[in-house]
Amino acid sequence: MAAYKALFNLVVAFFLVLSLEGIARKIMARIQRRIGPPWYQNFIDLFKALSKHPFSNGWIFDFGVLMALGGALATAMIIPMGSITWTPFPNSDNFFVIMYLFAVGALGMAMGMVGSGNPWASIGVSRALTQMLGYELPYLIVMSSVIFFYKTASIHKLIELQRGGWNLLVMPLGGIVAFISLMGMLGKKPFDIMIAPAEIASGPMVELSGKYMGLLHIMHVFSVFVEISLFVDVFLGGGSFGWYLVKFVVVWVLAVMISSVLPRFRIEQMLKFYWGVPLGLAFLNALFVLLGWTL
Amino acid sequence: MALSTLLISLLVTSVIIYFVSKASWRVGAILNFLIGIFLISYVFALHTGTTSDLGTLFGQKLQLTWTNASFYFSAVSLMVIVSVMLFAIKWLDSQKYPAAFNMFLLMMTAGSLGVFMAADLVTLYIFWEIAVLSSMLIVPMGKKESRKAAVIYAVMSASGTYMYLYGAFLAFQRYGTLNISEIAKQMVSDPSTGIKAAIFLLLASAGIAKSGIFPLHTWLRIAHGNAPDAFSAVLSGQLVKLGSYVLMVTVAVIPSLRVFANIPFYSGIPATNYFLIALGATSIIVGTLMAIKQDDMKMLIAFSSVANGGYILIGIGTMDPMGFEGGVLHVFNHALAAAVIFMAFASVVYRTHTKKISELGGLIHKMPITFLAYLFAIISLAGIPPMSGFISKWMIYQALVRKGMFITAFIAFFGSIGSFLYVFRPLAGVFLGQLPKKYKDVKEVSPVMWIPMMILVVISLIIGIWPFPVLQPIESMRADFGIAPMVKISDPDHWLIRGFAGNWNPVLVFNLFLIGFIIAYILYTMFPRSKKVDLLAPHKEEGTPINIYTGGEYIYTPELYHYNTKFYAGFERMYEKHPSWEKVLGMLAKFFHDLGEWVHGWFFRPSPSAYAFWVSLTILIVFWVRW
Amino acid sequence: MKERTIWEQIADSFRSRSIWMLHYCTGCGAMELPPTMTSRFDMERFGVAPMATPRQADILLITGYLNTKTLRRVIYTYEQMADPKYVIGFGSCTINGGIYFDSYSTINRLDYYVPVDVYIAGCMPRPEAILEAFNYLMEKIRKGEADGWKRYRENYEWYKQNQIRSLGEVYVHDEFHE
Repeated sequence: MAAYKALFNLVVAFFLVLSLEGIARKIMARIQRRIGPPWYQNFIDLFKALSKHPFSNGWIFDFGVLMALGGALATAMIIPMGSITWTPFPNSDNFFVIMYLFAVGALGMAMGMVGSGNPWASIGVSRALTQMLGYELPYLIVMSSVIFFYKTASIHKLIELQRGGWNLLVMPLGGIVAFISLMGMLGKKPFDIMIAPAEIASGPMVELSGKYMGLLHIMHVFSVFVEISLFVDVFLGGGSFGWYLVKFVVVWVLAVMISSVLPRFRIEQMLKFYWGVPLGLAFLNALFVLLGWTL
Repeated sequence: MALSTLLISLLVTSVIIYFVSKASWRVGAILNFLIGIFLISYVFALHTGTTSDLGTLFGQKLQLTWTNASFYFSAVSLMVIVSVMLFAIKWLDSQKYPAAFNMFLLMMTAGSLGVFMAADLVTLYIFWEIAVLSSMLIVPMGKKESRKAAVIYAVMSASGTYMYLYGAFLAFQRYGTLNISEIAKQMVSDPSTGIKAAIFLLLASAGIAKSGIFPLHTWLRIAHGNAPDAFSAVLSGQLVKLGSYVLMVTVAVIPSLRVFANIPFYSGIPATNYFLIALGATSIIVGTLMAIKQDDMKMLIAFSSVANGGYILIGIGTMDPMGFEGGVLHVFNHALAAAVIFMAFASVVYRTHTKKISELGGLIHKMPITFLAYLFAIISLAGIPPMSGFISKWMIYQALVRKGMFITAFIAFFGSIGSFLYVFRPLAGVFLGQLPKKYKDVKEVSPVMWIPMMILVVISLIIGIWPFPVLQPIESMRADFGIAPMVKISDPDHWLIRGFAGNWNPVLVFNLFLIGFIIAYILYTMFPRSKKVDLLAPHKEEGTPINIYTGGEYIYTPELYHYNTKFYAGFERMYEKHPSWEKVLGMLAKFFHDLGEWVHGWFFRPSPSAYAFWVSLTILIVFWVRW
Repeated sequence: MKERTIWEQIADSFRSRSIWMLHYCTGCGAMELPPTMTSRFDMERFGVAPMATPRQADILLITGYLNTKTLRRVIYTYEQMADPKYVIGFGSCTINGGIYFDSYSTINRLDYYVPVDVYIAGCMPRPEAILEAFNYLMEKIRKGEADGWKRYRENYEWYKQNQIRSLGEVYVHDEFHE
C-alpha cells in the first residue's frame, strides 16, 4: 500500500508541478502584458530536451545527475499530501529527515555540475550554497519552534494537530518567515542568484544538454513539490486531497506573482536581507512560542 | 592479558619497533599494523568490569578498568589508528623519519587506550601525557613551520592539562580519593557549589584544550595543518576524541544534572553545563566561518574539527538522552569522516606535493578512488542521510529543539549548513574542475593507501543504514551513567530510531534513495546516448582548446578556466574584518615574551660587575631572610 | 531524404514547438531581438525562449556581420551545440555580405561554413520577419526538412575545407589564448 502511495506521490508531483510551471509562465506573461506560451509548454520543453543527443562531461557528471534525481525522487516519496490517508510512510516523515534527504539531491546536482569542468557552474554552486545559508536559517528556526510547540516533528502529526486552526494563524510571524524562505528555496525572482542567466550563463546548468537538462528539470519539479508541500502541510493545515491541491496552487501562484515584479538581489544583499528581518522575526516567533503567546 | 600488562608491553614494543624500523621501516610499519589488528580483536573480546592495578600513589590505588565507555572509545580510536597504520605502510616512503613515526604512533596508541581505561584521575593524566607527548613529537616531522606548530600544540595542551591536574588535586584534597566514580558519588552530596563548579570546570578544561573548543582551539589549525599528512588523520580522527572523552567524563560520569541541580540555568540544564554548551556553540561559529575561507585544505578540515568538537560538546552537555547519544555517536562519525578526509588529502599531497586548494584541480581524472573516498566522507561530515553522520546530527537537533534551546539550535543549524559550504570547497577546487597541466602524469595511489580509506567509508555507510550495532553500546553507556535509562532510542526490532518528536527508519530511507536512483537510471538509459566530451584533450595534444562553454573563446591552459580561489567571495567579504582570537593569544604571548626579555635584560648584562652585584644581592637576601 | 521513424516524428513535433535560442550577436541585428522577446511581439507564445549557452540551445541565431575573427567563434559555438541543431542567418550580411561585402575581412556567405536552415533577408529585418522565420523553421522541423545538422555531419570534410580556406586555421593561437 505504501509503495502505491509513494508512486502516486510521484505521479501527482510530476503532472501538478509541470503544469503549474507552465501556468506560471502564462501568469508572468499576463503580468507583463504578453500572451505567453500555452500551459503545457513545459511538457513540450521537457520531452524535447529528453529527445536530443546530449554531451556528457565525464562519469561524475552523469553520476551527479542521477544522484540529484534519485535524492529528489526519494524525498518526494516521503512527503505527506494533506492528511494521514495520503502519507506513504507515517513512520519516517520526520521533518529533519526530509530536509536532509533533500540535501542529497542538491549535493548530487552541485557535484555533477561542477564535475562538468566549467567555472560558471562552480560560481553558480557557490552562490546556491551561500543562498542556502541565507534562507535555511530562518526557516529552520521557525520549524524548530513549530516542533517545540507541537512536540512532534512528524509531518502527518503536525497536520493532524492543526485541526484547531492553521498554523499560519496560530503563529503568523512564523508563517510569513517560512514563506519568505520558501521563495529562496524555490529560487524565485529576488532570489534567483544562482541561475542568473545574464551574469553567469545560467550557473550550474551551463553545460547541460539534452537529457541531462531534462533529468534535472524533472529533479527541479520534485524539489518544488517537496518545498511547497512542506509549507502547505506545516502551515496551512490538512484536509482532503482536493483541498491540498487548492492550497498548493494558491501558494505557488502567490510566489509566482511576487517574483514576477521583483528584480534580482546580489549575493550579499540576499544574505543581509535574510539575516535581517526574517531571522529576527523567526527568533521573535520562537520567543512567543516559548512564552506561550500564540494565537 | 591484564590491562596494565597490555599497556606496558605496548610501550616497550614501541621502542622495539623503533629499532626494527631503523633496519627496515616497512617491516616496522607492517608490525605496527599487525599489532593494531591484534588490539582490535583484543578490545572486542574484553568483558566490561575487568580491572587491573597499576601501582599506588599517595596511598591511592592507580587502577585501570574496562567499561562500556572505554570499549566504545577504544574501538573508534583503533579503527582510525589501524587504518592509518595500514595507510602508512606505503605512505611512509615520502617521510624523513619513518622509524620515529612508527614508534611514536604505537606509543600514542598505548597512551590513548590508557586514557580510556583509566579509573582514576592520575592514571588518566599519566596516559594522557604519554599520548600528548608522543603525538607532539610526530607533529614536527612535517615541514619547517611544523616546529612552531609542535610548540603551540604543547603549550595549549599543557595549559589544559595543568588545569586538569589542579582540579584533580583539588578533588583529592576535598574528597580524599582519586577514583572517578568515588569522586562522582561524593560530589553529589557535597554542599559547596563553588568548589564543585571549580573542580568541574578545571577537569573539563583538559578536554576543552584537547578537542579544540573555543578559547583553546588555535592549536588545531596549526598542528593539523602542519603535521605529517597521514598523522593529521590520527590527530583529527582520534586524538581530539580524547578531549571529547574527558568532557564526557566530567559531564556524564560526574552526574552534572544532579551535582548542579541547585544552579539550573535554562530548561533543566545547570549553568556549568550551559557554560560548556556556550563554548561549544562559539567553537561551531568560529570553526565554520574560518573553515569557509581557508585556502589550505588541511587547515580547512582542521577548523571543521573545531566545529564538530563543538557539536559533540553541545550534544553531551545537554545531558538529554537524545543529545547525549547524538554527541557520543558524533564522536564515531566525525572520527571516521575526518580520518578518511585527511587520508584522502595525504594521498593528494603524496602525489602532487601541495596542499593549497588554489594550486590544484581536476584530480578526479587521475585519482578517482581517492575522490570517491573523499566524497562519501564529506557526505557523512555534512550529515546527509545515507551516511552515518546524519544520525548523530538528527539526534542533537532533537535534543536542542526538545529543550527549546533556539539560539544553540540556530548555531547548530548554521554549522550544519556551513559545513555544506566548506566541504564543497576541496571537492570543487581539488577534485573537480580542470586539471592543471603540470599534474598530467599524476597517478592514483597504491591500493595499500586507498583500501583503508574505503574500509572506513564502507563502515560509515553500513552504520548509516543499520546504526544499531553502534547505538547499542552507546545505549548501554547511557544506562551506566543513568541518563534516563528507561528511554529506548534505538529499536532494532522495528528498524526504527525513536526521537522525542517522531521516528524514522534508516533502512527505509536508504531504500527509497536506492529506488529513486534506480528510477533515475532507467530514465537515463531510455533516452539517446550521450557523446563524451574529453576534458583532458588539451593535456593529450598540445594546441587543442578545451571543449566546454567558454563564450566562444579558445582556452588552451585549462587551469586558468578553473574556479578555486575565494570560492565564497560574496560571503567571505561580509566577515573580512572579524576579530581574531589567535591575535589576542599572540599578543599575550608577545607580552610574556617581552616580560621575559626585560627580566633577562636585567640579569644578563655584558659587564661582570652586574653579575657580581646580583650574586652578592642574592647571597645577602638569603642570609638576611634565613630560609 | 530518409524516412523518419515514428519516434523521430514525435520528437520532431516536440522540437518544433519548443525552440531554445542562442543568439550570436555579432552585429547591429541584435537590436531587433529585444522587441521580439518582450511584450510587443512576444516570441515566447511560440515556445521560443532565449538560452545562455550553446549546450542548452536548439537554434543558433546569427545576427549580422561575420568576419574572419568572429566566424571562428561561430564555428566553435556551433560544434558545441547538441544535435539536432538549427541555424538562422539573420539579415542580408549573412546571405551575401551586405553593404560591406568587399571588405578584406568580411565573410560573405555563411552557408559555406555552417549549414543554414533559414535565412531572413533584409537590412534590418523587422521583428515580424523574425517571427515569420521562426514559424517557417517550425514548419520545416515538423516536416523533417530542417536537416542542416545532418548535412554538417555528412559533409564535414567539405565544410572544414571551406573553413580552413578562409581562415587558415579555425583555432586561434596568440598570446591571449595560450
